[in-house]
Amino acid sequence: MEDSNIVRRLLMTYRNELGLILAIVVVLLFTAAVNDAYRTRTEYNAKEILRQTSLLGVFALGSAVVIIAGGIDLSSGAVIAFSGATCALVMQVLAPATERGGPDTSDLALPILAAGIAAALAVGILVGTLHAWLITAISLPPFVATLASLVGLRSLARVLNPVVTGWLGDQKMKVNIDDPDFIWLGSDWRVPLVIFLMTGLAIWVLLGYTVVGRHWYAMGGNEQAARLSGIRTDRLKWLAYVLSAVTASMAGVLYTAEVSAADPQTQGMGYELKAIAAAVVGGCSLQGGVGAISGVMLGVLFLRVVIDSVAKVVGSGSDDYEGMIVGFLVVLAVAFNALRAHGTARRQFFPDALGWVTIPILAALLGVVVAATSGRTAGITAVVVALAVLFSCKIWEDRRFP
Amino acid sequence: MNTTAEVPIIATRNITKRFAGVVALDDVSLDIKEGELHAIVGENGAGKSTLMKILSGVLTEFDGDFLLRGQSVRLSGTRAAERAGVSIIHQELNLVEQLSAAANIFLGRELRTRFGLLDNAAMKRAVTELLGQLECHISPDTQAGTLRVGDQQLVEIAKALSLRATILIMDEPTSALTKGEVERLFRVIERLRQRGVTILYISHKMDEIFRLADRITVLRDGRHVETVHRSDTTPRRVTHAMVGREIEEAQHHDSRIPGDVLLEVRNLSLAWPGHARKWRLENISLTLQRGEILGIAGLMGAGRTELLECLFGAATEPIRGEILLRGRPMAFRHPAEARAAGVAMVTEDRKRLGLFSQLKVRENMTICTLEDAARFGIVRHAIEAKSASECATRLSLRSAGIEAPIMSLSGGNQQKAIIGRWLLTRPDVLLLDDPTRGIDVGAKAELYRLMHQLCRQGIGIIVTSSELPELLTVSDRILVLCEGRQTGEFARHEATEQLIMEAAIQRN
Repeated sequence: MEDSNIVRRLLMTYRNELGLILAIVVVLLFTAAVNDAYRTRTEYNAKEILRQTSLLGVFALGSAVVIIAGGIDLSSGAVIAFSGATCALVMQVLAPATERGGPDTSDLALPILAAGIAAALAVGILVGTLHAWLITAISLPPFVATLASLVGLRSLARVLNPVVTGWLGDQKMKVNIDDPDFIWLGSDWRVPLVIFLMTGLAIWVLLGYTVVGRHWYAMGGNEQAARLSGIRTDRLKWLAYVLSAVTASMAGVLYTAEVSAADPQTQGMGYELKAIAAAVVGGCSLQGGVGAISGVMLGVLFLRVVIDSVAKVVGSGSDDYEGMIVGFLVVLAVAFNALRAHGTARRQFFPDALGWVTIPILAALLGVVVAATSGRTAGITAVVVALAVLFSCKIWEDRRFP
Repeated sequence: MNTTAEVPIIATRNITKRFAGVVALDDVSLDIKEGELHAIVGENGAGKSTLMKILSGVLTEFDGDFLLRGQSVRLSGTRAAERAGVSIIHQELNLVEQLSAAANIFLGRELRTRFGLLDNAAMKRAVTELLGQLECHISPDTQAGTLRVGDQQLVEIAKALSLRATILIMDEPTSALTKGEVERLFRVIERLRQRGVTILYISHKMDEIFRLADRITVLRDGRHVETVHRSDTTPRRVTHAMVGREIEEAQHHDSRIPGDVLLEVRNLSLAWPGHARKWRLENISLTLQRGEILGIAGLMGAGRTELLECLFGAATEPIRGEILLRGRPMAFRHPAEARAAGVAMVTEDRKRLGLFSQLKVRENMTICTLEDAARFGIVRHAIEAKSASECATRLSLRSAGIEAPIMSLSGGNQQKAIIGRWLLTRPDVLLLDDPTRGIDVGAKAELYRLMHQLCRQGIGIIVTSSELPELLTVSDRILVLCEGRQTGEFARHEATEQLIMEAAIQRN
């Protein structure tokens, strides 16, 4: 009796995590079944998945903290680009000159590497502080404050890169750092993984076992009540946004190291939404006050595993599918939570006219995706089957809910 | 049981409803006759609200049968209930504050002209007519949010009437009304009954129930205790049935001896930018001694809540004047400073300003004092749980344990948890803003006892209430506010409802 109760409580507490683990295993098994890459190059693929997961995971953790605290941070991608550029520029400025006059980054001294990374992290602190100021002192909605950074910081990096490289020699948009130690940071799978796990552990303790963490949950759930309980909400917000921006800067350093260059034109583009998606898939509520770091970490892994699975199955050009996968998974995860919360018993999925219009849209979407991957005939078949199934579903529903 | 041939307009058969393991309604069967005013009474957590939510289609999943005019129905939502002629006036009103009264009444069923545009003129005419019938003399164009609570309520009733409701459920309709507004509401209710509207009236107030009701149903702990005709019972017997025990009159304060002056306020003023009155509060002076309860009386908008907020560092504008705590001047800029100085405040609007609905009972109780249970910022769970459970025991909090979700508790117990939150901060000054709003007789008596006990321990309490008898029961002194000004102060032995009311409506 006692035992089964404990088991049930654990199952209830961690049902989100358990569901994600199950989903990850299913996707991995499926991919291994239809594609031999996982079987023939197991080690390489495992390392690659872990490395990619960790790169995304580092700043997804920060985004999740802001979401739990009742805010939103849209700036992660731009902070990645800007902090990466800062890191690379500082290293170039401090690097010894080559015979031709330009900076030589092929073998940098350790203090120079440290200075570059420190500068990137400092950028995180400054950006986070700026967000907190805009949100608390100027009363901007978090969406607006961080949206301004999303568009502004990337542009700033694009302006800065040619100017600073111009002082040193040729004007360049892409700032290369060729130091092998630096490149190792992003290309060896262990470095991002260790950073991801350490950050995850730290934030897990912070959220679950400290006063600050409890106050974040309280503020995210009911900010007014938190203030009237004597909680300094302004300070909590500062810490949350700084944490988010610093984790994004850490990712910025890693992404720059990965490709041995800072390129604000493409780096981190759209990553803020991936991070938010991972947090949501991991069980965070965008209303705030709900979520756990274990779920977020598994959410990132799940997202990566699915993206990788599609890459393996589809083959070349799989990058193009990433957006669709992320969009689909976010809708699926949130819909799953919504249905669990509100019950499915008396719900009509295709009500009224909206239902009639939605069915062809869903069928067309499916048809286009199938046609793109498996040819025209398959696409048309998919549309016909989907229409038939959904329309009969709709007719059945209309009978059940007169 | 029902010997008459007529079919009850509403009947419930063995309705049971569970929330996360807590039984809110247990096998409830009752009949409501057409055209009667049926009062539903019971303590907090007795299941009144749950039953009304089922009848009005807010809750759609439950066990048992719900018969409307003899037909078994399953309402799919509030819309379906409205179509079936059931409307509910919630205790917490449901108006869109930014829209006008007319727009609220026709929300979702707007009248349109031939061209498909809104027919505002027709809607205004209809609303003026409806409100006129209800003695509500406001313009249909008035923004709902700017109306007095009493008028907002009549707007909701007008909405129900325009929906041609034949069954009207009223959940504690008088809890925020002034005496005049209550009288007007009763006249409106009388008129509705003449039209044949069946009214389900939820209230704790015996005088209202015995004035209005034809029959009275008592619920206790989710069970149906009895349904009786008004003439066959007495307030005392109903109260007894509600709590299952006799309630002694709360008259404790004779044994209280006020001590040193704890709090002194001199010429406190709070600006009201952009408003014709200019001041929310103007030149308020008061003192509070240890072991004393100071009551603040006043109508809605008199500035009761604002006064407490000023004392708690939660005012929206900088304040003028002096606040001395234990003889030292204080100027709190944040509730955190007030808390550190030993001032605690239990807010009026529990759901919006007090509760953390996603958190557990324990987390809700320790939110203000978490630092005490922490070392280097890490919360020590055992210490936290101990202080929460000790406090819960002290307040005889009824819940499925301190790890239960706060929303699984009844309103009265949620209020206790919030009071517990503040008692854990060991305050010297406790500010209670209408703490018994929507709380039943039993919980009220418990709260009065607790306030008395706290006073004996040397705490000074300032309490506001929208119910004068309550203030007269608990307070040693009563300060009366009217439109932000201080219009009277009475010691308990000289205060009467009449005197306080006169001061509260004094204008110049």
